[in-house]
Amino acid sequence: MHLSPDLWVWVGALLTLFVFSFLFGDNPFYKFAEHLYVGVSVGYMIAIYYWNFFKPDLIEPLFGRGELILIVPLILGLCYLAIFIQKFSWVVRIPMGFVLGWGSGIAIPAVLQANVIKQIQGSLITSQTLAHWNTFVWSIVVLIGVITTVIYFFFSREQKGSLKVVANIGIIYIMIGFGASFGYTVMARISLLLGRLQFLLRDWLGVIH
Amino acid sequence: MKIGEILGKIDRRIVFGFMAIVVIVPFFFPLNVTGKVAPPSQQLFDAVEEIQPDSKPLLISIDFDPQSMPELYPMLKAILRHAFSRNVRVCMMALWVTGVGLGEAALNEVAPEYGKVHGKDYVYLGWKPGFAAVVLGMGKSIPETFPTDQYGTPLESIPMMRGVKNFRDIPYAISISAGDPGALTLWIPYVQSRFGQKLGTGMTAVSAADAYPYLQSGQLTGLLGGMKGAAEYEHLVAEAGYSEASKPATQAMDSQSMAHLAIILLIVLGNIGFILTKGRK
Repeated sequence: MHLSPDLWVWVGALLTLFVFSFLFGDNPFYKFAEHLYVGVSVGYMIAIYYWNFFKPDLIEPLFGRGELILIVPLILGLCYLAIFIQKFSWVVRIPMGFVLGWGSGIAIPAVLQANVIKQIQGSLITSQTLAHWNTFVWSIVVLIGVITTVIYFFFSREQKGSLKVVANIGIIYIMIGFGASFGYTVMARISLLLGRLQFLLRDWLGVIH
Repeated sequence: MKIGEILGKIDRRIVFGFMAIVVIVPFFFPLNVTGKVAPPSQQLFDAVEEIQPDSKPLLISIDFDPQSMPELYPMLKAILRHAFSRNVRVCMMALWVTGVGLGEAALNEVAPEYGKVHGKDYVYLGWKPGFAAVVLGMGKSIPETFPTDQYGTPLESIPMMRGVKNFRDIPYAISISAGDPGALTLWIPYVQSRFGQKLGTGMTAVSAADAYPYLQSGQLTGLLGGMKGAAEYEHLVAEAGYSEASKPATQAMDSQSMAHLAIILLIVLGNIGFILTKGRK
């Protein structure tokens, strides 16, 4: 065992144990770690926002180099603060309208292209997928999955007869998808635990390498 | 009390204790469970392998925060080791404000192992707010979007960034992604689809299942899923002789496998308890 001489490793280890103590119920140690985490995160974000954005992209060009066009985004940004004054809270609609309009304008075509058109193209059987039996079989599996799953979400007609059979095949695909997601989620949560255990056993206690 | 009721009422602290033993023991008694490298991990490795040394840089985006470190940080370090060992230049940036320090820490740890120098072999652009605005801006001009690097050095004075104007000068981009904004919500719709950027990703396991349709459609050309993906990449890098550094993700995979077996056991026991209790009712 080689205990770490680093003070910050000890701080991290104790805070980790404080958080783990929640497994046995809420307690002041957990509360302390939780509040400290929130405070440190916000403080860190404010520092990064200032040094990476406000100073180089607003303060220096506007007040140092006289780029007056930056007054426009500055005023739009300040409008958000109007939400704290009840009488002028309507002003916040101006920057929100700008952001929503701009955001929708760039998001709609991009998302349609990436998530609909390209995905439909990816589901099609092409000469490339026919080139090898392996890709051909999987293309058929994907195509059946896409069609049956979409039909499961077709609610304009009662699902009975052949429509129900197809929709039930869609359910099987959906359940396999849920199962894969659950398996991956279990792995993710265990990974987080393992990361902390590696920190405690290796970096703090020095009992593993 | 019947066995069904006992199984249905196991104290959660017993379950926690059982899980703790299951995941800690393999650290001391490694089982060396080796798995096959999945094709998506191999594809990401091959894509980095294809980048010309001492040429245009590999772009890595830090789209995660400390909460996802156990899964994504080993991936980041393995990819950096792969790139630096082949003299591939690296241009790093962050879209998550709380990830800025992680990117810096990884560069500071891995670059000295290969004698790499900031500005010549790698550059850290840092973080800018705006998400979609940032990557769209980079599609037009990287120096206009990031006039300086993380340390305030003008991009035009950084040797390795000369001639790197936009995504046309980036042979491959990797988003190390823990959610939104990340590979699925930002890099694929705004960068891959719009600019045709060749793109790979390392993701938390939670979101990895959602990435497979993009892999199948060719929008992604490589995927590392969770800690297993990180372990696979560490294995590929070590097997190719690029690194002899410690492999934290690989080390944890024995515990991961044992934990999965334990969870399967608990699910089976829970269901047996449920069925027995239901049968009696």
